[in-house]
Amino acid sequence: MNQRIIYPTDDGVAIIVPADCGLTIEELAAKDVPQGKPYKIVDVSDIPTDRTFRNAWEFKA
Amino acid sequence: MANVINGTSTGSGGLIQTGDDSGVLNIQTNETTAITVDASQNVGIGTTSPDALLTVNTIASFGAGAAATPSIAAKGDLNTGVFFPAADTLAASTGGSERMRIDSSGNFQFNSGYGSVATAFGCRAWVNFNGTGVVAIRASGNVSSITDNGTGQYTVNYTTAMPDTNYSVVGATNSDSRTVSIGNLVASNSAMRTTNSGGALEDQTLIAIAVFR
Repeated sequence: MNQRIIYPTDDGVAIIVPADCGLTIEELAAKDVPQGKPYKIVDVSDIPTDRTFRNAWEFKA
Repeated sequence: MANVINGTSTGSGGLIQTGDDSGVLNIQTNETTAITVDASQNVGIGTTSPDALLTVNTIASFGAGAAATPSIAAKGDLNTGVFFPAADTLAASTGGSERMRIDSSGNFQFNSGYGSVATAFGCRAWVNFNGTGVVAIRASGNVSSITDNGTGQYTVNYTTAMPDTNYSVVGATNSDSRTVSIGNLVASNSAMRTTNSGGALEDQTLIAIAVFR
């Protein structure tokens, strides 16, 4: 699945990496995003490959 | 239904043959067909249309048997098959020795080099993923996703949640002197961290997690 789900956390941003489990990206968001958190579904190409400053990443709706 | 079956004999044996040209033999009691032998010599019990050499339409019951003499065995290999060592219990043997069992509580037990037939505890979830670059899952079972929470910080989300939080998580990485440690365990997911030899959070290229319960 070439999509990711991102949502804000107290420390920055969390990125959900889907497994091949038979659920759609929307079903995964409903299941694995903490209740009440806003989230975005993005293309995997939108995720930076350089994690040097991973903990400084921020969520932008 | 008259004159359906003819009886005759040859030598010391016996023979029952159909009295018509259908090639089918039906044996009835109380005016209901109990056994059918069709024109292809397939035998049906409880059915007049057997689709194999022996077809039993409802339940067939067998004696308990034993490991050396299983109730259901292969032709020419009578010490290999299925038997019933106790009530509500199913077992299988090969070469006359018990190899596996499903007990009355539903526990699956097997030998497979253990030395005796004992309860096997299943791996309830597993995942192998790359925690560097764009985090990616290589393969998994009963894992719906990994949440990348930051450098060396992940959550493993289960497709089917654990029955409680008293499960065991085993983790490993392919880097020397690196550590995989678990954080908060809840039924639906497990938090985990990967650290370097100095204890600082660090991403790893191969992280493998297995969950047992």
